[in-house]
Amino acid sequence: MRTRQLVIVASACLLLSTTWAQTGAKPATGQSLSVAASSASADSLFHGGPAAWNQIAVKRVALNRTPPLYDTDEPATLEIPSVDVRTARASGKLLVQLSWRDPTHDAITLAEVPNTPPETRFRKVQTEADDRFFDAAAVMFPAKSGSGAIAPSLQMGDAEHPVEIYYWNATRGAMVMQAQGRGTTRRTGQNFPANSTYQNGQWNVIFELPDLPAGTTVAFAVWNGSQKDGDGRKYFSVWQVLE
Amino acid sequence: MSRHQYAMVMDLNKCLGCQTCTIACKKLWTDRDGTGYMYWNNVETRPGLGYPRQWDRIGGGWKDGALQPSPLPTMDDYGHAWEYNYEQRLYEGKKQPVMPSPEPKSGCNWDEDVGAMNEDENYFFYLPRICNHCTHPACLEACPRKAIYKREEDGIVVIDQDRCQGYRYCIKACPYKKIYFNEVLGKSEKCIFCYPRLEKGEVNACAAQCPGRLRFVGLLDDPESPVHKLVLVHKIALPLFPEKGTQPNVFYVPPFNPPKRENYGKSIQEDPRVPLDYLIYLFGEEVKDVIVRLEAELRKTQEGGRSEALQLLIGRDAETRYHVRPQLVQIQV
Repeated sequence: MRTRQLVIVASACLLLSTTWAQTGAKPATGQSLSVAASSASADSLFHGGPAAWNQIAVKRVALNRTPPLYDTDEPATLEIPSVDVRTARASGKLLVQLSWRDPTHDAITLAEVPNTPPETRFRKVQTEADDRFFDAAAVMFPAKSGSGAIAPSLQMGDAEHPVEIYYWNATRGAMVMQAQGRGTTRRTGQNFPANSTYQNGQWNVIFELPDLPAGTTVAFAVWNGSQKDGDGRKYFSVWQVLE
Repeated sequence: MSRHQYAMVMDLNKCLGCQTCTIACKKLWTDRDGTGYMYWNNVETRPGLGYPRQWDRIGGGWKDGALQPSPLPTMDDYGHAWEYNYEQRLYEGKKQPVMPSPEPKSGCNWDEDVGAMNEDENYFFYLPRICNHCTHPACLEACPRKAIYKREEDGIVVIDQDRCQGYRYCIKACPYKKIYFNEVLGKSEKCIFCYPRLEKGEVNACAAQCPGRLRFVGLLDDPESPVHKLVLVHKIALPLFPEKGTQPNVFYVPPFNPPKRENYGKSIQEDPRVPLDYLIYLFGEEVKDVIVRLEAELRKTQEGGRSEALQLLIGRDAETRYHVRPQLVQIQV
């Protein structure tokens, strides 16, 4: 019985220290992310393609894989070990380009839903499949700027440190979300500009974010549809610090 | 546990497989974009594949307190929607016959009236199914968004469409596969036990339209309600697959009658028309006691007595079959 208590206490300490590492520590300099001050306009970067972006320094950010939720889930393999990040400030915007290799292109064009109410139409749009999941990516940063050295919890922030999540989905588009901890993510109803291309097994997605000051922490996530990724089943980076 | 619990009892001896309940539900709730394949209420022939096919064999529910999620059923299991080439045949003068496309390979009620053989006699019966509005819903536990909740006032299990993000853990967790994914909306949907009707004092659409009058609705904890009497007093209605651990609040009077033709006058238990093993598979070992009780009630009436349980099961009018009590379940603000 005593041994068991000891194990519980030890586990709790370990958990606490991990949580502390996630929430409380100032990110190391190895996690800094240089931001190009681009003379090009945000628009030209947003639509520019590789020619515009190749001049900007790239940082390869390591990704981690969340563990399976259920015992019966298939083991999650680290098929996407990293994401290449380029950031630039232009025209009062922060542009972030995420590039990663994903041999499976999990995106479809959903049938357009007519504007007329369904009860006035003989034909309704059908659910074509119920087991499709799509590629996606996200950039997360603290909702309160200037919140000091404390970065929010990586698990979608926490009550004291809400986060904003700019989420892009290969099928459903780009949407702004807010969260205050795991399971609290909600759509704000706002969209944001995102430009995505898939070529030769690689995704390039440009996120147009509001300008974030130097020192802001940002984290990235990637979902692989063919691995049936969604919600917490994903790849994620630790916090990076914008220079 | 909710403060009250709405429940439904369906007498499988009375179901004629007409699908009026299915259509009542479909017209009311699932005649929208993305809901074509959804049957919040469906009627399947048993023994049979079910809808989605093999739902009863792939998993879900609880075991030793842990969720047992199954794989997601695919559209192959539900059956792909098909269309007919009427235009070619009727307007374009093509001479081929009217044919469905894509080739139908599965669908709701795909194996209608096929059944199985019991020695040399074919048997089957109909199993109408809605969400069981379980006391321990596996779907609710599985949702990382906490989008599913059990209504405190009446125990109805619903999905908050604003919170749902379409992760589909609920579908995997439900042992009855009674949650459907709407890909158009990116959200999951399920039977809502017609709560907007109940709140106005009207019974569920599937029950109201049933020509077989086999559905009974009321609060399980209301001694006046028919479901309370059938489940807790007469003890002649059982939940489906009780071993899945979710404690369903839809109960079935097992199909026990009529006897095989050559067995007229003998006990149904000696040589039942529907093999007992199959009923045990669906309703657990307790079904044996229920059949004993039902047969005893039947004998009572055959000998000129009066069976309160059978009178209730006849369910002559809506007042007998339904006890909808919106005032009782209203949450006082």
